[in-house]
Parts: sequence; structure tokens; C-alpha cells
Amino acid sequence: MVKVIPAFLCILAWNYSTAQRILIANGHLHPVVGQEIVASLVEVENGRIIGIKNAISSTYNPQDWDTVIDATDAHVYPGFVAANSTLGLTEIEAVRASNDYYEIGSFNPHIRSQIAFNVESKVLATVRSNGVLLVQATPRGGIVSGTSSIMASAGWNWEDATVLADDGIHVNWPMPWEGGGWWAEPADKTINSKYLEAVKDLERFLQQAKVYSESNNPTFDARFQALEGCFKGKKRIYFHAEELRQLADVLEIIDRYKFNYPVIVGGSDAYLLGQRLVDSKIPIMLSRLHRLPDNEEDPVDLPYKLPYLLYKMGVTFSLQNSGGMEAMNARNLPFLAGTAEAYGLPSNDALRAITLTPCEIMGIDKDYGSLEVGKSATLFVSRGPALDMRTNSIQTILINGKLESTLNFQEELYLKYQKKYLKKN
Amino acid sequence: MNCRLLLLFFLSLTISSFSQLKPENGLAPSLLDKIAITNIDVYITPENKIENATMLIEDGKIQKIGKLVIIPDGYVQFDREGMTAVPAFVELISDAGVSKAKSNYSGDYPQLESSKKGDYYWNEAIHPELDGFFGLNYQDAFFEELLKNGFGFVAPHQMDGIVRGTAPLLALGVDTDQKTMVSLRQSMHYSFQKGVTQQTYPSSLMGSIALLRQAFYDLKYLEDYPKESIGKMSLLPWLQYRNLPSIFHVNDKWDILRAAKISEEFKVPFIYATKGDEYAIAEELKSKNVRLIVPLALPKPYEVSDPYIARSLELSDLKHWECAPYNYTILNKQGLKVALTSRGIPSGEFWKNIHKLIQLGAKPEQVLASLTTIPAEYLEIDSLLGTLEKGKYASFGIYSKDPFLYEATLHEAWNLGQQKVFSPFIPSVLGRYSLNLKNKKLEMKVEGNPQKPSVNVVELTNIWDSKLRIYKKDSIQTSVKCKISNQDISLEFNFVESNESKPYLLTGKILGNGSIWEGDVLYPDGSWGQWSVIRRNKFRDTTQKVQSLPSTLPNIWFPNMAYGNEHPLKPASVVFENVNIWTNEAEGNIDRGFVVVEGGKITFVGKNKPYFPPGAQVIDGSSMHLTSGIIDEHSHIAISRGVNEGGQSVSAEVSIGDVVYPEDISIYRQLAGGVTAAQLLHGSANAIGGQSALIKLKWGAMPETMKIENAPGFIKCALGENVKQSNWGDRNVVRFPQTRMGVEQVFYDAFYRAKKYRSSWDEFLKNKASDPALKPPRKDLELEVLLEILDGKRFITCHSYVQSEVNMLMKVADSMGFKVNTFTHILEGYKVADKMKQHGVGGSTFADWWAYKFEVNEAIPYNAALMHQQGLVVAINSDDAEMGRRLNQEAAKTVKYGGLSEVEAWKTVTLNPAKLLHLDHRMGSIAVGKDADLVLWNDHPLSINARVKLTMIEGVIYFDEVKDLELQSRNKMEKMRIIALMNSKSSTSPVKQPFFKKSKRFYHCDTMGEEGTTQENLH
Repeated sequence: MVKVIPAFLCILAWNYSTAQRILIANGHLHPVVGQEIVASLVEVENGRIIGIKNAISSTYNPQDWDTVIDATDAHVYPGFVAANSTLGLTEIEAVRASNDYYEIGSFNPHIRSQIAFNVESKVLATVRSNGVLLVQATPRGGIVSGTSSIMASAGWNWEDATVLADDGIHVNWPMPWEGGGWWAEPADKTINSKYLEAVKDLERFLQQAKVYSESNNPTFDARFQALEGCFKGKKRIYFHAEELRQLADVLEIIDRYKFNYPVIVGGSDAYLLGQRLVDSKIPIMLSRLHRLPDNEEDPVDLPYKLPYLLYKMGVTFSLQNSGGMEAMNARNLPFLAGTAEAYGLPSNDALRAITLTPCEIMGIDKDYGSLEVGKSATLFVSRGPALDMRTNSIQTILINGKLESTLNFQEELYLKYQKKYLKKN
Repeated sequence: MNCRLLLLFFLSLTISSFSQLKPENGLAPSLLDKIAITNIDVYITPENKIENATMLIEDGKIQKIGKLVIIPDGYVQFDREGMTAVPAFVELISDAGVSKAKSNYSGDYPQLESSKKGDYYWNEAIHPELDGFFGLNYQDAFFEELLKNGFGFVAPHQMDGIVRGTAPLLALGVDTDQKTMVSLRQSMHYSFQKGVTQQTYPSSLMGSIALLRQAFYDLKYLEDYPKESIGKMSLLPWLQYRNLPSIFHVNDKWDILRAAKISEEFKVPFIYATKGDEYAIAEELKSKNVRLIVPLALPKPYEVSDPYIARSLELSDLKHWECAPYNYTILNKQGLKVALTSRGIPSGEFWKNIHKLIQLGAKPEQVLASLTTIPAEYLEIDSLLGTLEKGKYASFGIYSKDPFLYEATLHEAWNLGQQKVFSPFIPSVLGRYSLNLKNKKLEMKVEGNPQKPSVNVVELTNIWDSKLRIYKKDSIQTSVKCKISNQDISLEFNFVESNESKPYLLTGKILGNGSIWEGDVLYPDGSWGQWSVIRRNKFRDTTQKVQSLPSTLPNIWFPNMAYGNEHPLKPASVVFENVNIWTNEAEGNIDRGFVVVEGGKITFVGKNKPYFPPGAQVIDGSSMHLTSGIIDEHSHIAISRGVNEGGQSVSAEVSIGDVVYPEDISIYRQLAGGVTAAQLLHGSANAIGGQSALIKLKWGAMPETMKIENAPGFIKCALGENVKQSNWGDRNVVRFPQTRMGVEQVFYDAFYRAKKYRSSWDEFLKNKASDPALKPPRKDLELEVLLEILDGKRFITCHSYVQSEVNMLMKVADSMGFKVNTFTHILEGYKVADKMKQHGVGGSTFADWWAYKFEVNEAIPYNAALMHQQGLVVAINSDDAEMGRRLNQEAAKTVKYGGLSEVEAWKTVTLNPAKLLHLDHRMGSIAVGKDADLVLWNDHPLSINARVKLTMIEGVIYFDEVKDLELQSRNKMEKMRIIALMNSKSSTSPVKQPFFKKSKRFYHCDTMGEEGTTQENLH
């Protein structure tokens, strides 16, 4: 039996849907690659997009589909990607027991986030409700914090939710400044006299790992083993660095060690690197835009303008939202892209920066990041443009062709208390 | 000064002259008490310098001074020809010789109460009883350093605490400890810094201010009722010495304005020991006519050769480095009274700094006054020291020449008539001499530096001119090798005689005052003979003159940092035309309308073209949107040194209004986000926090100008995890309360205490006529603020999260007879919105924050909408310097979450906060008669594409997108200009200032201490 459901009723459909063939009809399509289609037909079968058509020139027979979702007047987007996030690894920041992202030790490449990812995280659900469908669950801490994995924002368990296991290693570049104090009373930072030493330590570690990767029969070492893919395979190596000094040193080390897929995460000073960065072709996962400038005399809107500056330079970049309260804040990722657009970045590039580009950087762009025939049907329908707060209103979510809930416990509480007051009045 | 004290003081000064103070071991010491110093240049006063004077000293005092002084019998004469006497300097700021302060608490947990036993004041930071003379180490090396720099007097105190205690006045370089102590207590010292005490209160600047005020009230109370046990052991000494000259040590220029308010309130005439950044508010200080002690020490240049560091240097720090050397001159130009302190100057650099001031335009006599007469006047001891007039102390330095005009050497320091020699007096040998040798009369010139003079002999000869056939006079000049060691001298020169160079070797002695030298000579022919010189006239030593540098006063901006204005901004008449107007009034939005601004107010709003005021700036707002300015109901920007007084659970006495900080770059950044007004709230570290400041973001204005005139009073209260210190670590488990149960009782207790306080006052006022002996209650600043709440004169904004506590406080309020005005954060307000409506409280909340601590586990972004639907006044606030600049985006989220209309959504950051703050009669909408606080947006203000084009407060344009670009490039050029200056030769300094990358000090609700946070935080 065919069910034709308006997009906003998908809330009800998701939990019993076993639909194999789904048609999303008449939505304004934002495919990221190619032209927008104001009224589109997106055909999904067995989790993949099998066809994209213009509804004006094509017709469809509802009988051909298990489910037809009517997206008239709504917008269809590929799922947004929250790269470099602790989402799914934490629940309540101040409750230590709920935190699973910060392991002790300085060199932990073998630590894997995948197995700690909580698919039932209440925070995760609220983020999914804003269109973020993929998460790069990323460990924190130390010099080498560990291995991230790319996870879907819904699933029965971590295996089920895994999009790409162990996509890359995260390296926190040493800080050129050091400062005492604690969070409430930070001291001014002084120049880190041990910066070069710390860089040397890191380099020694990478050097050993490289030798290990080149040996035929090395004695097993969990740390070096974890890094092997960075030299030989497709594993990414993510260098977290913000400041000019760090970035210059990162470029140099990347050049020397010939990593297959190096990435810079942060890069707030990257716009100062000029042609050196452009020539290196190293992509950047840019720091949270909703951030204050570092220096008193920096342009007030410098963080907002960074994407535009990098775009003009011709640097590949994506946006991410790490920082304070990053798990819950991941739901504002679309509005970071919106802000980038407001400050000069062309509209489709803003969208690309939270969809296809991060997928390219992380190595899942064959299947994810854009709406193209043959790709995974990981997408959502929003009542209006999804990069604007007022109109980001997600009605239908498909992850790998499967309908997922747009609901979260916050909305449930909303409905519950609405009812309370309806009864009262 | 207390009369009795004054009497004692004079006794102690004169006692040595007529009796033996203590038994001597052996005979009484021989006294040298009648002294004449002759041929000396003297600064009698800073303005009156006489040359070749004679000074008579008797019994340690100046008896006579002048050019024509006859030296009576019995005077020992010191000929100091060519030298300069300068009155001994007075150092007002020092801790030399004084014992170091240390905390005597050693517990593992926070110290809530004083660890001092006895009836001391309850707070350890108030210790007026502490005397600087107690345990004084007379051998402190720094006294010698002072003496070498020309100081004769110092008033050291223990630099610790808020009411610090007294300083004695010491005379340096005298022979006994008894004589060193000129006076036991000469000044009283204050500051806003609690110092080493571990007691938790005060933990903020505003806490220090409140504590000092309360202490002054307690002092007054003890004056009236000296038997009261409210800290007699501290307050009685304070009562006794409070009229001593009172020196207030400030942390920055803003502290001066803060302390000046206390000075006015309690009629204590403070003298301010400053940090050297006052130039930026010199005019404001002039209007307060403050007396200052400014540091002679100057900031060192930074190491700017590393571009990574240069980039991280703040423009404000660079500008301060450039301006600081002009501080003294700028303040003097304003006509302010300014003393100088040498504190903080590295050893040996004192005179370098003095000369730098003079090079940059300070007048020598002004500088001298700042070191002598002005400090003496501050210490109210100018009748005895500061100048070398008759009857004053014979306390002066003898320099090789005028030390203000030349680089000079201090030869001798005289104090109370006692001489201390640093380098022996050698009469100057400079001059023109006649040199007598066998058969030769030569002229000799001794010039240049007296220690290493250049000497030439001139032979006058008659040369036959064969053309003119006459003898012509001619001179041959020959340079002489000269060595002087004390009185011994050797001279060596060659004369060309019969085409041969012939050596003359002379050795001998300088006699008397140097006008005659004589000795033996070895002639070129090997024979011995005698030689002598007689001085014909003297030369003055004019080497090593302090050259004035060509310099202009650097540009001082308002504020003196990046994006500062070059001139104070002025309101203008402005017409916005063809603009989409968000009125927030009944007429709703007006498409392509007009708004006229005159005199800081809105004078027209409408669709039809109005009368344009003459000279009005017309701004075309086509396709743009004009709104009233954003009001942030919950902000912690623009606050100095601490947002939380977390030292106690109730701190109603503290006020953010005391610590408004106009130099926070956040002000400018938020203007760029369309914010025009904000409630600066106390944090949430305790149940009853502190009073708010309601400000407008007038960038470049003084703190008092930023505050909204006649704004109603507000106070912050708080509930939940921050109040019970849940996330403060395992040590913070001793302050009551640690549970929500305890929080309730803290509120009850506070308001019961307030009521009791009221009734005791009522009783007193009723009965005092009939019973004159009746004592009034002690004035309690904390309880008086609580009474304002009970009287409905002060509104509560209460930090709150979960429904149980919200409900609780409303019940407490109902039963105690007050109202809660606003629940802020109020993330579970949606659960009790009906009850809130009943209580009549509004909600000011986050758009979508949650999950950062346990109590926000059920915070939902639909909160604002649900509260709004129940008829509450709902605002969206920031509590965050970053979010504060895009509150329009946050307001837009209420459309997404819960479906507010756009007009209602916009009101959550404009009209509704204005209502919550009781300021909606003048702010929050675009209506005739309201303040012209307006924002022009490029697009729909709730749109993600919205950017601010222009922000206006009361008709003054504080942010303009176009001007902002100009300021950006100006900032860059200014920075590079100063860096170049730092790098240039003229300012090379071997000592560089170590660079510190400033931590970003952004306060949040639970920021403790005087510093802000760089990291994540709990709100």
C-alpha cells in the first residue's frame, strides 16, 4: 500500500517505516553539486538516490513507491556534517560521569571514539533535529588525542551508526603560549619556552611511527599501528592549530612527512598564510565562526569573514563548531554557514562548507555530502531555507535511505507542557 | 593632625639638643652642629635658585641662606664651589624596611572568617591598627638606594590590605635609629586590594569598595559608641589616625574615580598613588581636582622584533607605552597637583627617568616640586621640610652640578645637618690659568668634564711679517696630557722649539680651592725647576647637558585603544528616509518611512515626509531596516576586576555600578552587533549577589556617563548549582548553602534580618527624643539594600534554572512581602509559567543553551515561546560577550522554536528587556519622545543575513560600518608606527618588558575572582 505523507507528518511515520522505495516530491532541491531545482523529485531505493528529476518536466506514479513524501514549498538538503565534535561522547559537561572524550596521556592515537558513541544521546537527537545527520565523533586532550570516526546521528548501536570507522588521527599542535591559573582566574599567557621542545617530542613520535609504517615486520605497537594509515592508507591526520606560528610549523611538518591526507583543524590565522597555504592544497576545518576576535584591533567581524577570505584565496575549507558547549551547540552549525554567507561567502559555498567539503576532507564524499544519483540518501526536508534560524524547520530525515525521527525530548517536553496549559486554559 | 600627637612630635625633634637621651658608653659624642657651606648654588625652593650662596646650618636646621652671608665664629666651613644643593626628596610610597605581610591561615578549605583573635575588625583586609614603624628594619638596603638618588625622607608602610595602617616618616642617612624616626605615624594608607588574607570576602573589586564603605560607617559608629565590640582593636587606632594624610593606592585610573566617591562620601581627602595611566582621563581628574602621586617609572618597550609577538601585542598596551612618559606633563598642564614616586625604578635609573621627563617637556622646577614641596605638603610637614628656607631641616644633596639640567653626580647627602659623603669633593679645575715656567709665560685652558678635563697651553709669540714688515701677534696652541687624582696633578706636553718637539713634564698639587697649582717640572734640557699656575677666571662645567627632545604629545583616543575615537563624539540631527521601520508600537512595521532624530531623541516616526531639521544628516535607508537598539538584559561586559562577590552567600552591599569599565573592547564589538544598552549583572556565585548597573554602550565615555540616568535599582539573586557551589571542586564544601534546601533558608534569613533591622531603627527613631542615651542600630549597607527590595524600590533579577527553586523563591517573596521582577536564564520557566504569571514576574532566557550542567538537563529552546504564550514578558539575553553581539540571531530562534511572530521575536531583545528593566518609557521602541537608540540593518534584522550598518545612542553614531573600516586601517597604521618607534634607536633599552598574551577576560555568571575566563564555563 502506498502512503503519501506530507513531510511534516514524517514524525509519525519514522518508527514503523520499512519503506525501500521512497520518493520525495516537489521539494526545492539544494543538491550542492549542480543547479538548485525549485520543484524536484528525489527517488530513493535501498538507501541510495536512484534519480533526481525536475517535477515540472517529469511526473510520477505514486503506486511505484512505498512512500511518497510531499515536500511542496519545502527544501531538500543533504545532511549537514558536524565535523570535529564531541557530540555523542558527552551528555552533561559538568557531570564528569557523562564525559567520554578526554583520555589521559599525551600520545593516544589508538584511542577510538567509535565505541563510545552514544546513539541514544539526548543531545544528539536535538542536533539531528536541525539537520545535522553526520558527526565526526572526535576525542580531545593530550598531544595526539586519538582516532575519530564518522557516525550517523541515529542508529541502534554504534556499529549500526558507523559511517566510516577510524577516519583519522587528531593531533593538537603544541601551544606557543603557556599560561597558569584555572578557568576562573587565568593568568596572562607567556611565551612557551618549551614550545620547540614540545614540537620536537611530537616530531620524534611521528618519525618513529613513520619508520614503523615502513618496516616489513615491526613488533606490534598499538600507537604506531594506529598511525600507519596516515602514511600508507587513506587515514587522515588532523592537525589542530589556530595561530600563525603553529600553522607555519604544521605546513612544514606536513611537507616533510608526506602524509597522504593531512588536514588543518582550526586555522583561525590561516588567512595570513597566503600562497604557501594555497600551494600546499591542505584543507582546513575552520574554527567556530561565532567567536570573538583574538586581538583588540582585529576587525570586529573577522571570525565571520574568515570563510570569505579563504574562499577568495582559493583554499579548501569546511566549517565546524568545536569550542564551548560544542555538543549541544552542534545544532547551530547551519547558522555558522548562514553567517559565513551573510559576510560574503556565496550561498552554495556556504552550504558546501557543512556538507560536501567536510565529506571530501574526511573521505566520505563518494557517498555523502551532496544529493546526486548513486549517493546515499542522507538528507532532510526543511520547511524553509535551512541556514536561517527562522526557517530551519526539519520535517523529514532520511539517513542512508531510512526515515529517522525529527523529534527529540525537548520537543516532547514542549508538547507536554503545551498540553498542560491547553488543559488549564 | 591630632594635637597631642603634634606636641609629642616636636618634643622628639628637639630633645637631642639639650639633653642626653640615653646613657652613653664613654663620653658624650662630639657634635658638629654649626656648619657653613659656601660658594654653592642652591635651590632654596623649586622656583628660587641662587648661585654662589652661603648656607648656615645650626642644630640640623637652616639658619641662614643667601649670597651675602657673613659667617660667624665657630662655624666649620665647607667650600662647595661650583656645586649645586638640592633639597632632599621625599618618597611617599615605599615598603622598605617594613615587615612583609603574610596570611596566617593554613587550612585546606576556604577561610570564611577572620583568623585574628581579639576584638579586631571582622575582615582581615581592614587593619588600620598596623603601624609601619613596628619591627622596622633600619638596615634595609633600599634606604641607601633612596639616599643615593637624592631622597632624604621616606614614609614606608606595609603594602597590603584595604585599610593598611600607618607609615612613619624616616630621615635617611642619619646616625642613629632615633634620629631616623622623624615621626611615628605620618600617613595612613588605603587600597582596593585585599592583599594576602585568605578570607574569602571580598573576592572582587566591588566587594572591596563595599567593605571599605561599611568599615567607614563602622568607624563612625565606634566614634559615637566607643564601647561597642565591633572591632575596637582595629577601629580605635583608626579613629586616632584617620586624620593623618591618607594615601590611596589605586590599580588604574578608573580606581581614582571610584575612590573619589568614597572620599566624598566620608569626607576623607585622599591622595592617590597611581599607576601612570591617568593621562587618558586628565580632564575628568581635573574636574575632581584630585591630588596625585604618579610613578616616575615608565613601561619598558616590548620585544617587537618577533612578528608573531608583535602581532599579539594589544594596541592599547603599545599606546600606553608611548603615552606614559607624557603622563606627568599632561597632568601638570591640567593644573593638577602631582607628586612623583621613585617606586619601581630599577637601581641606578632614577635620574635617567627624571631627565626623560624633562627632555619631553616637564619643567625642572616642576619636577623638583613634585619630589619635595608637594610631597611635604601632602604629608602636612611642609613647615619642616621640602625647601631650604630658614628654619627648615638642613636636608639636601650636593651635586656636581645642577642635576636637573645636567647629568650630575651626587657627592654628599646632608640630612638634619648630618653629612654623608658618597664621593669626596674635588674643587673644579675648569678655567683659564697663567702658567709660569722658566722663561715662559703661557696661558692654560682647562675645559670640559672636570674629572677628565681637556687641557691646552697657549704660547703667545710675535711673528715677523716680512711683507708688512711688522711683528704680528700669534698664538700656538698645544694640547696637554693631564692626570688628576684627588689633589695630585701631572701635566705633560711638547713644544716645538727649533723645529724639534721638546717634552715638558710637570707634576704637582692643586692647592686650596683650586685657583693655584704648583710643583716640579722636568725641562726638555733635563733640568729641574718649579712651576705654578694661577687661575685668571673660572669656567663652568656645561658638559652632559640634558637636551630636550623634539616631541609632541601623542594622540590620546577615547578610549585610548583600538577603535577609540579621536575626539569625543557629539549628537547630531539625523533623518532616516525610505527605511523599513520596526516600531515595536501598535502601528507595527512601517514600510519605507521616516524617522527624525534631534537632540538625542526621536522627534518623528511616520510614512509621510516630515520637516527636516536644518543641518540634519540624511541617511537613505532604502531596502534597509531600522530598529530600536538591542537591550541585553543579562550582560557581564565592561566590568572591572570581578563580576562575583562570592565570598559570602549574601552580598547585597556590592554594586556593579562601582566598577563599570569603559575600556572593554566588548563595548565596541557589541555596538557592532546593534546593542545599545545592557544590564551589567553581578554573577551567580551566591544567593543574594550585588546591585546591577544599567548602562548604555557609550564607547569612549566616562563610567558615570555610561550609566543610565535615573535608572531603577536592580539586584542579582541566584539559585541552584552555582549558589551551592556544585561545580567548584571538592574543596568548596564549607560555604552555606550546599543544597537547594539551604538556599531557601538563606533568603528567609536575609529578609528576616532586614526586617529586624528596620524595626530596630523604627524603635530608635520613635524613642530617641525621650531617651537621649538610646543607641541607634549600626548602619548595615547589606540590610539597607535588602530593605529597598522589601520597599519595592529595588528590583530582583534572579538567576534560576529548575522549576522547584523558581517556585520556592516566589513563595519566599510572597510570604516576605516582595516581588521577583525577572527570572533570568529561567530555563525551566516553561514548567511554571502559569505560576510566574500569577506572581507577575518576567523571564529573560537563553535562546537554546542547555546540557552544560545538570540543572539545565531539561532546558528547552521552546522555553521563551511557552512563557510568552502564558503572557509573560520574555526577553532573550546573552550572558556572554560573544553571543551579545548577535542577539538578533538569538531572537530569531524564537521563531524556529515555538513559532513566535517576527514582531514578537524582535521584541524579545528590545522592548521586552526594556520592560523588564522598567526603561520602556524611554527605550525599546521607535516612538516620538523616546531616546534615539537606533540600529540600521542591511537586511531584515532577524535574518541570518542581517548586518549592522550603523548604531546610534541618543543621537550619537557610535558604530558606522564605513567608519569601522577606516578605524581598522588606522589601528594597523598606529600599531606599526609605535612598533617602529619601539625599534628605533632612540628608544633602545636593554631591558625589555616581557610579553604576556592577555587572557581574554570575559565574565560569565560564575566567574570567580578578579579575572575573567578564557575557557568554557558554567552559566
